[in-house]
Amino acid sequence: MSTSEQPVPARRVVLVPGVLALLPEYAGQTDPVAELRDAAVAAVAWAGPDAVVVAEPQGERVVAALRDAAGDRLEQGVGPAVVVVANGSAKRTEKAPGHLDERAVGFDEALGEALRAADVEHLRQWDGALARELMVGHPDGFARLAELLTDAHPARVDYADDPFGVQYWVMRWQCES
Amino acid sequence: MTLRLRRHEFADDHKLMMAIVNRTPDSFYDQGATWAEDKAFERVTTVVEQGAEIVDIGGIKAAPGVEIDAAEEKSRVVDFVARVREAFPQLVISVDTWRAEVGDAVCRAGADVLNDAWGGADPELVDVAAQHDAAIICTHTGGVTPRTRPYRLEYDDVVASAIADSMAYADRAVAAGVAEESVVIDPAHDFGKNTFHSLEITRRIGEMVEAGHGRPVLVSLSNKDFVGESLDLPVGERLIGTLAATALCAAAGARIYRVHQVVETRQTVDMVDVITGVRLPRRAIRGLQ
Repeated sequence: MSTSEQPVPARRVVLVPGVLALLPEYAGQTDPVAELRDAAVAAVAWAGPDAVVVAEPQGERVVAALRDAAGDRLEQGVGPAVVVVANGSAKRTEKAPGHLDERAVGFDEALGEALRAADVEHLRQWDGALARELMVGHPDGFARLAELLTDAHPARVDYADDPFGVQYWVMRWQCES
Repeated sequence: MTLRLRRHEFADDHKLMMAIVNRTPDSFYDQGATWAEDKAFERVTTVVEQGAEIVDIGGIKAAPGVEIDAAEEKSRVVDFVARVREAFPQLVISVDTWRAEVGDAVCRAGADVLNDAWGGADPELVDVAAQHDAAIICTHTGGVTPRTRPYRLEYDDVVASAIADSMAYADRAVAAGVAEESVVIDPAHDFGKNTFHSLEITRRIGEMVEAGHGRPVLVSLSNKDFVGESLDLPVGERLIGTLAATALCAAAGARIYRVHQVVETRQTVDMVDVITGVRLPRRAIRGLQ
């Protein structure tokens, strides 16, 4: 870096799940995803208002809703940032949207470990066909994370749970560049 | 306009359950189950736990029967009202009476509402309500004498009659000094009406809601003969029919439901409110995970 250049802030990367219950049009009297919502709003706020969103159309709506919810908490001047919308399998229990698939828990555990450790090799080599079979939300998002996390520190895990048989993660990564 | 039932206020989107508590030995539905004061008090406790905002305490059954004079009626309800008032300060207490003398006594004992099921048969009842700043339920009965059954009564338009008479009664109450926000209108199903009349009232209850210009509409549908005749079912088997009628009235905007079964009616009204968008679902996650 030359002395005339301003320091470039390190890239921030965030992962949130594309849960439609996060959208205001699906609100009930009580919030079934309150804890997830709190974590996701905080993570999206950390990524700032100008973060690039990597998502399918529904996921884009989720991020927009989370940003609206974050309001003044959206951090300004955070530099380059990316919000990826994706989640684990939807076949973790008999009550899950895709019913029970015995392979789901193991798949999610391995994926979760790779995400925590920013293990891009695992993310590059994962079984995309199995991911689709297990109804993973936006599998291409994880492929994109493999590109984004090459110089990332281990993740800060804000949320990791499967309250409805679907694996959700809210994670933040600080990258070196 | 915010509904005010003496010391209690309710927002416009708040539908209210008025639980029937009979201090009678012979009312058609409970057949004296709460005739004993302690049984009646237990009933109050139960319906409060079930979420009823109002209890409607009555000392005389609506149907013809043994003459009950004002002194006897007061002996059945006044002290009981005082007991309920003391035990449940947040509860709205209504008393089902057409008599001014009884109305005065129960208001002194703590009643908030005078529910005149007989359409203003005692013209001084409105004055009593005004004196105590109580609310009043203004019903339509087609002008029949209290405690009589309808007999070959016909109307050119029963809904128009119900609107005109109940609104005229409400106007009279306001003129006497009852607060506008404390006047409720009631078409009074089965009172001065055959089954076809009550069905038409139910079908067109939205017209009454509209014509009330903000005056809340109370419906008393619970287990009545028009339900029984519609389904050919005796008292005791009319809950489902009652709830169907309740749903129609809720969708049309009726505000107060005078009921025997609080829980079932509340669920019905809440469900209608969710369907019509008045309320959000309690908790929605299906298909949204």
